[in-house]
Amino acid sequence: MKNKVNISKTTDIIKVLLVENDKSKISEFTSALDQSNYHISQVSTSGMSLLREVNAFEPDMIIIDIESPDRDMLDSLNRISKSAPKPVVMFSDREDTDLINALVKSGVTAYVAGEVNPSRVKSILDTAIARFTEYQQLKKELEVTKQKLTNHRVVEQAKLWLMKTKNHSEEQAYQSIRKMAMDNSQKIEDVAKNILSLASMLEMSS
Amino acid sequence: MRKIEKLEQPQLTIGFMELTDCAPLIVAKELGLYEKWGLSVTLEKQHSWATLRDKLHTGLLDSAQMLVPMAIASNLGLNCPKTEVVAPFVLSRNGNAITLSENIYQEILRIHKSKASKIQLPIQAEHLKPIIKKYKTYGKKLKFAVVFPYSCHYYQLVSWLNSSGISEKEIEIITISPANMVSALKVGDIDGFCVGGPWNAQAVRDKIGFTGVTSSDIWPGTPEKVLAMLGAWQCKNKRTAQALIMALYESCLWLQNITHRFEAACLLSKPCYLNTKVEIIAPSLLGSCLTFYNTQPREVPSYNQFSLPDERIGNCPDTIDGEMLVRHMLQAEHVSSIAQPALPLNTIFSSSLYHQTLDRHLNSKTLMKENLPKTGNINEALAPQTLLKMK
Repeated sequence: MKNKVNISKTTDIIKVLLVENDKSKISEFTSALDQSNYHISQVSTSGMSLLREVNAFEPDMIIIDIESPDRDMLDSLNRISKSAPKPVVMFSDREDTDLINALVKSGVTAYVAGEVNPSRVKSILDTAIARFTEYQQLKKELEVTKQKLTNHRVVEQAKLWLMKTKNHSEEQAYQSIRKMAMDNSQKIEDVAKNILSLASMLEMSS
Repeated sequence: MRKIEKLEQPQLTIGFMELTDCAPLIVAKELGLYEKWGLSVTLEKQHSWATLRDKLHTGLLDSAQMLVPMAIASNLGLNCPKTEVVAPFVLSRNGNAITLSENIYQEILRIHKSKASKIQLPIQAEHLKPIIKKYKTYGKKLKFAVVFPYSCHYYQLVSWLNSSGISEKEIEIITISPANMVSALKVGDIDGFCVGGPWNAQAVRDKIGFTGVTSSDIWPGTPEKVLAMLGAWQCKNKRTAQALIMALYESCLWLQNITHRFEAACLLSKPCYLNTKVEIIAPSLLGSCLTFYNTQPREVPSYNQFSLPDERIGNCPDTIDGEMLVRHMLQAEHVSSIAQPALPLNTIFSSSLYHQTLDRHLNSKTLMKENLPKTGNINEALAPQTLLKMK
C-alpha cells in the first residue's frame, strides 16, 4: 500500500519514503512534516518488494524503524548501488536520547528517538541531509585523492623503469613520458601504465 | 562453594541475532552459567546487523554476538563511525551454507543429464558455469543474496565461485534480511543465498531450495561469530569480561555433547529466541545437512562448531584469521589497501585475555565437564535419532 502525495514542481521538495506499517507512527511523521518541504510516501513492504519500491519511487531520503530487519539491505544500497546514495534516517521508540544522540554526533546515520516531535523532527531531517551531503562530498574528495595518489605512483614507477633500462636521468625520464603523452594525446598516467605493462611483458619473456 | 569475586559490572545486556550459532549465549542463560560466574545477563534479540553494531558502539549493548568481519569493519569505520571493538572469544566456527533455488538445481540436473545422486557433494560452483553463460546471452546475471556485505557469508560465496574459476563479477550479490531470504528464493527474486542456520534448513523443509555446500567445506574451522565488546569497556571491566568468557567457555564445552546439542535446539526454538521449529534448527547442530526434500541428508559433522578438538584453545581468537579475512576484504574491494596498515588486528583478535582467563579459572574444581548442568527437558518424540531420519 502506498499513499502517494502530490509532488509539486518546486525543486525544494524532498521525497521521503517512510517504511512502516504502524498507523500511529505514520500519522505522527505525516503531521509533523505536514507544512514542510518533506513529502512523505509510506510503504509497509519488506525485502525484495521494498527494494523494488525504492527503485521505482527514487526517494531522496528513507526513514525506517531502527529495529527493522530491512535496515541492512537499505544501508548496503548506499555502498553498492550505482544510483545516487540516499540518507537513511532511523527512528526508535526508546527514550535513551543521550545514547542515540551520541551516535548521531559521531556517525553518518541520523536517529529520531522517542516520540516524533514536530519541531524537532524537521531539524533532525535537515541535519541528516546536510550531514549526508557533506559525507558524500568528503567521500568523493577522498576517492579523487586516492586516484591522484595511484596515478602519481604509476608515473613514478614508469620513470624508475626508464631510468633503469635507458639510463635516463629522472628529468629525462619524465620528459620522455610527457612527450609520448602529448604525441599520442593521452594522459600521462595512461602512458605510464602502458610503459609498465610493456615492462612486465619484457620481464616475463626475458 | 566457589567464592565469587567482585565484578565491576555484574549486570550485562548482550545482543544476539536469531541464528542457530547464537547457541552458546542462549545455553549459558538457560543453564544458569552466567549466574554461576556472578553475572546477571539480559539477552536482547536484534533484527539487523547494523543496528546490533550501532548499539554496541554506543553502549546500549555491553557485548554482542558479531560477524568476524564486522569487528574489523568497526575498527576501520566502514559504513559506521570508526570504533575500537575487540573480539576476545570465538563463539562459533562454520555454520553457513549455500542454497540454490529449486529452479537452478533442476537446471543443473538437466544440463548434466544426471540424477541427483550423481552430483557430487559438496557441489562445485563449476555446475553454475553453463547457467551463467546462458543468462549472459539474455543480458542477465544470477542473483545471490547475503545478509551483510562485511560477512563471512559474502567472502565464502566468493571463494566458492573463485575455486571454480568464476569471478564474483559474473553474478550479482545483494543484501537482504535473513527473514526475507527464503521467500525471495521461493518467488524467484534470487537464485541462491549464502546464510547461516536455520535458514538453509528452512528452505529445504519448505521444498524450495537445494543446499549443496556448507562453510565447513569452503573454509573449514574458520571463526564465524565472535563475542564483541568495546576495547574501552573491556579495559574497564576486566574481571567482568573474564567471568563472561568463563560462562561462555563452559557453554561451548556443554555443546560438545551431541545429546546436549539436541537440547540446545529445543531451547533455541523458543519464541524468545529463534521462534522456529526444532526440526529446522536441530539438523545442523547434530551434524546433518539437509540437502533437498525427499533426499537423504548429508553428514557434515562440523556443520556447527563451538569448540575445537583441543578444547583449551577452542574459543581462542587468532590474528591469522583476521589477516585472512582482511585479504578477502581487500579482494572484494571492501577495504582499500591504504587503510589496511592502520588496522590493529593484534588488538582486535588478541588471545591474551582468553589465556589469562583460562589460566586463572580452569583449574578450579567447578569446571569439570561432568559437573556441567543437565537440562533434562528433552522431548522424547523428537529424539535425535528420529530427527536425523526425517527427510
